[in-house]
Amino acid sequence: MNAGLKEDALFPVILGATVHDIKNSLGTLLGLIQQMSLKQSAGQVDEVRQLEFEANRINHSLMQLLVMYKIDSRKFSLMEDEYAALDLINEAKAQQDRLSRLQNIEVRSECRDDLLCYCDYQQISNALGTVLNNAQRYTKNAVLISASEADGYLRFCIEDDGLGYPPHLLEADLTNPADVDWVSGNTGLGLYFVAAIAGFHKNRDKTGYVEIDNHSRLGGARFSLYLP
Amino acid sequence: MKPILAGKSILIVEDYPAMRKAIRNMLYTLDADLITEADNGENALLAMSKTSFDVVLCDYNLGAGKNGQQVLEEARLQKLIGYHCVFIIIAAEQSASMVLGAMDSKPDEYLAKPFNAQQLFARLERNLSRKTLLNSIEKEVERGNLSQAIQQCDKLLAGNHKKVRTHLLKMRAELATLVGDFDTGRGIYAEILQERDLPWARLGLGIIDFQVGDLAGAASHFEDLLRAHPLFLEGYDWLSKVYEAEDKLQEVQEVVNQAVDLSPQSILRQKKLAETADKIGNVAVAEKAYKAAVTLGKHSIYRSCSDFTNLAKLYTKTHSGDEALKTLAHMRKEFHNDPEAELRATTLEAELHQNGGDTEKAGLCLQKALLLHQQLGANTPKDLQLDIARGCFLQNQAGQAETILDGLIKTHIDDEQFLDDVRRMQSSVGLENHSEDLIQNTKRALVATNNKGVALYKQGKFKEAMALFETAIASMPDNKTIIINMLKIILHDLKASGIEEEKLLRAQALFKKARQIHIDRHKLGILQMEFSNLLRQYHEGARV
Repeated sequence: MNAGLKEDALFPVILGATVHDIKNSLGTLLGLIQQMSLKQSAGQVDEVRQLEFEANRINHSLMQLLVMYKIDSRKFSLMEDEYAALDLINEAKAQQDRLSRLQNIEVRSECRDDLLCYCDYQQISNALGTVLNNAQRYTKNAVLISASEADGYLRFCIEDDGLGYPPHLLEADLTNPADVDWVSGNTGLGLYFVAAIAGFHKNRDKTGYVEIDNHSRLGGARFSLYLP
Repeated sequence: MKPILAGKSILIVEDYPAMRKAIRNMLYTLDADLITEADNGENALLAMSKTSFDVVLCDYNLGAGKNGQQVLEEARLQKLIGYHCVFIIIAAEQSASMVLGAMDSKPDEYLAKPFNAQQLFARLERNLSRKTLLNSIEKEVERGNLSQAIQQCDKLLAGNHKKVRTHLLKMRAELATLVGDFDTGRGIYAEILQERDLPWARLGLGIIDFQVGDLAGAASHFEDLLRAHPLFLEGYDWLSKVYEAEDKLQEVQEVVNQAVDLSPQSILRQKKLAETADKIGNVAVAEKAYKAAVTLGKHSIYRSCSDFTNLAKLYTKTHSGDEALKTLAHMRKEFHNDPEAELRATTLEAELHQNGGDTEKAGLCLQKALLLHQQLGANTPKDLQLDIARGCFLQNQAGQAETILDGLIKTHIDDEQFLDDVRRMQSSVGLENHSEDLIQNTKRALVATNNKGVALYKQGKFKEAMALFETAIASMPDNKTIIINMLKIILHDLKASGIEEEKLLRAQALFKKARQIHIDRHKLGILQMEFSNLLRQYHEGARV
């Protein structure tokens, strides 16, 4: 069926098929790890959790890659609907559950259960998961994830008690690829991705955006995602 | 986690044993105790025919046979799953819903791989609690009891269900549209749009304009919608309906082509594109789309032998006789011992032989086709009957052709699009306006019958009016106008002279018939609303 494809049309097909294949393997891998974690001896707990965490990370990176590719080739669009903000927080927490247990970090959430949010569930929960993952890596003891209404926007906040964002990141324009520190680690890449996803969320004259600062209630970094 | 799955029957459909086991283990941690497993689509459907599941978790990619979307389509069409069933398609890709672009069978949710027990729990809890809440509405909708459904919906809207409020408003507006209460529908959609530019609300406004016959208004709503949400596929489907009603086939083709580009897996859109392109003579587009429909049909409930013969007919027109024969051979393999497929093939072969100058073989094929048609009787689809009639004209058997045409015209006299097909066929065999007299006479006779019936009804002579229509329906069994008139009379009779069990049953039978012959849902909705009001009075014992 694909015999007539030209070279430029072939790459997306190969990319799609490869991602499909890797995802299937990852799914199986994660399933096996979960089963292992039920059987293993106490001494192996950390190793199995580490294994699961790494597999999850590969999945996240793969998903980001795919989304960025689609944005680049103008094939990206949101599938928006109305969801409970608490569901999104819980989904992000569930994604990162293993890491929290691995590092013994307390992840608290603060959100009214009737707070609603209009967004692409998958993309926003992944975006929150990405930021939560980073917060968990840089915090000392605790992370607070919350949602509230703020001036016609719904605001998700992720706060930690670590050392805070470095100055170069605080000064950067997160939507500008030239400002993002691509080399040293995942933080800049993750934030660029989340800012891109936020920017796709629009209502009337309002557009979604992200903000970072070091005004965390816990004393570390604070990330805010605003959805219109 | 709450034991939300205790006592719920769950089906896992997944071809990969390790994945199946992983999902099963997750479900066990959620207290599931009634788990069934299937390793392919066929087995999944078999399981669904035996058990009414509360939850179906179905992988999209199921190996060689049906995919998850095709399993869902077949389960819905065959009514193997009820309105209470949560159907989740598990897909490797996040944007699956768009790629699959299902036209009328959407799962309750797509779940992207990989996922863990907590994520699965969150999805299941959300869907199960929503289904429980909306149960009272869905139940009435399924029974065709629209006024009760509206009552239930209003009751829930008056309660404090903030989480599903938007969803309830959408349902309420759709129900209002269905029963012809367009003001309420418009009001809800406008209120929603003030808050946020939601695509379904804009679509809803367009649908109402379409129903009241304001085609220009409808088109502008759908065009606005697609400008703001170019991936909202239903917008293309509705815009194409507007163009079709305006007889702008070129535009229909353009719009459906855009939708097909976005959702190449949607077999129904491929068929629509093929048939439209075929009608306006765009051979290249038609050929590509028919081929796609044939390929997608292999494991689909929408598989149809007419896609094969339409493709073969296209080849006949472009003088690629060999390709046509190859396509027919392929079809005979796929539809072994299927009488309709055999009849389609034989009818087309008659024409192929005729074109090749082999009049003897052509004659034999036509004879065989007429015999098969006789055996199928009323089950021969109308487009195929038209093809047979064409074959008869081509072989100078005008008598046989007239008999078939006579029946077709009488049965489908209120189907303008089909009458145009009849006219097109006759022009193709050099008989311009051949049946115009018959068409006009039949129309006049129908109008006269209707007028007479309505006059009797206005004089209060319900019995006489019904008898008149009963006679008329005997000679035009699928006539939509007559069925609607009969429904109107019987409803009025029930209101005027009291409710009797026998009349209620008669009305129910007529509604069933109306649905069978695909009377427009919105035309029927208003009558159904009246009927369900009557039923309620009857059951409450308050006889009028």
